Amino acid sequence: MTATTTTMPPTPRASAPLVARESLWSRIRRGSLWISITTVAIMILLWEVIPQIGIVNRILFPTFSDTILGFGQLVSGGYWWEDLGKTLYAVAIAWVIGVTFGFVMGVALGISPFIRTAITPYAIAVQALPKVVLAPLLIGWLGFGSESKIALAVIICFFPVWIDTMVGLALPNANEFKLMQSLKASRWQVFTKLQLPSAVPMIMVGVKHALLLAFTGVLVAEILSASDGGLGKLAKEFASQLNMSLTYAVVLVVVIIAVALVSLADVVERRVVFWSEESRARKR
Amino acid sequence: MTTMTQTAPLVRAEGVTKRFGSGEKEMVALSGLNLEVQEGEFLSLLGPSGCGKSTALNIMGGLLSATEGTITFSGEPMIEPRREIGMMFQQAVMFPWRTTLDNVLLPVEIFGEKKKDYIAKADELLGMVGIKDFRDSYPWQLSGGMQQRAALCRVLLHDPKLLLLDEPFGALDEFTREAMNQELLRLQAYSGSTAVLVTHNITEAVFMSDRIAVMSARPGRLVGILEVPFDRPRTPDLQTTNDFVKLVAEARRMLELQ
Repeated sequence: MTATTTTMPPTPRASAPLVARESLWSRIRRGSLWISITTVAIMILLWEVIPQIGIVNRILFPTFSDTILGFGQLVSGGYWWEDLGKTLYAVAIAWVIGVTFGFVMGVALGISPFIRTAITPYAIAVQALPKVVLAPLLIGWLGFGSESKIALAVIICFFPVWIDTMVGLALPNANEFKLMQSLKASRWQVFTKLQLPSAVPMIMVGVKHALLLAFTGVLVAEILSASDGGLGKLAKEFASQLNMSLTYAVVLVVVIIAVALVSLADVVERRVVFWSEESRARKR
Repeated sequence: MTTMTQTAPLVRAEGVTKRFGSGEKEMVALSGLNLEVQEGEFLSLLGPSGCGKSTALNIMGGLLSATEGTITFSGEPMIEPRREIGMMFQQAVMFPWRTTLDNVLLPVEIFGEKKKDYIAKADELLGMVGIKDFRDSYPWQLSGGMQQRAALCRVLLHDPKLLLLDEPFGALDEFTREAMNQELLRLQAYSGSTAVLVTHNITEAVFMSDRIAVMSARPGRLVGILEVPFDRPRTPDLQTTNDFVKLVAEARRMLELQ
């Protein structure tokens, strides 16, 4: 009896910390952080020097320091916070609506073959369509306010959530379904205890993707219909005044926001689907 | 066939045939299976791939319905999966978002019972298979053998009357597989369950079983039943005895007859 219980020594793997991830400190020690810092420094240096020595026109391509000055000017302007707020608000609303709609559609198509057959042709059409073309239509229907902006962003961002949810729900393998069937699990139990948890890693990918697409959608709409304000409107206005350092500053802000959103989403993703990387590497 | 015992069999299959598809694509997976599984025995379904042994097992478990023939469990017709029947598959089927303990307790949730009523039992079983220290680890932190140990705990949690085992250790290496077979015999004896094992490994079938149902392929059918008279508990030494080797040869001969 006891002999058999000692045949399996604990593997070292099992005693390793649950979520081992490279810390900032270890990156500094290993030197990989220095590589990143050096490349960024070289980029900034080139950005600073090339317009100054006249290879490109400094008016059209402002230097790094011009851009930083423009950034200061931008931030000190009273209109700035309102425009930033309008953009982020629209992104947040569009993202929530897009993710919710995409998830509901994904679940409907994922669990009902009938709905899947009925809707798939339209789904393919929607996917193939460059959705920006709908912008004039939406502005015509909903006016120049935030509604048309949010509508365009929703249309652009819901698709990956939809598809990833649908695909994710089909991920469990035959044995997993058989186990649930052998336990006489109801359809609802199979969905909540097997399909949905299996789909979460995929859904998270779609949700992350949707965040950036919503951002893109809002900016495009702002550039097309300037009356509601926002970062897109600022970029367009500064560019039309040939105020390139301010235009660059807006672009810089957009880059910073995008990177921040992606990083935040990555952190959340790792917390939510802590099992995903490890188990995927071992399974299938 | 020859098993005319006094007690009613736990499982009785009469003329069970299973066809998949229809028309030209029709495939007969299992043809006219007559088989009785006695209470408390360890029966193996032995045969090459395509002999319908897994199909037969799935029909016994209520996962598939027979095209023809009847199958009863404790005298009642099998029409759907039952709680008294526990199934194990080729893979451990552990959900990676659940800890070992929560995986073992999955049936409790599905059956709508209280988890806390079963934690002590689950811990006891995990202790018996030697992975109690890993109750709060996740499956991907466990080796394949440890995962199957956990799966064994999960299937035994509700004291099933019948264990249906579809090559449960087929994916494991030879050493782990032997250890797991020992473990399985020990726990089956402890729980008093009846067991039906699907395997294509002759030695394994002889070592584990009281009776072996030898099957052949295309169409899947029963060739004959081989009685294995060795005493229990069985130890690995048994495999080197003359009687054991003779039975293995006998089983091989039955398989090759077709």
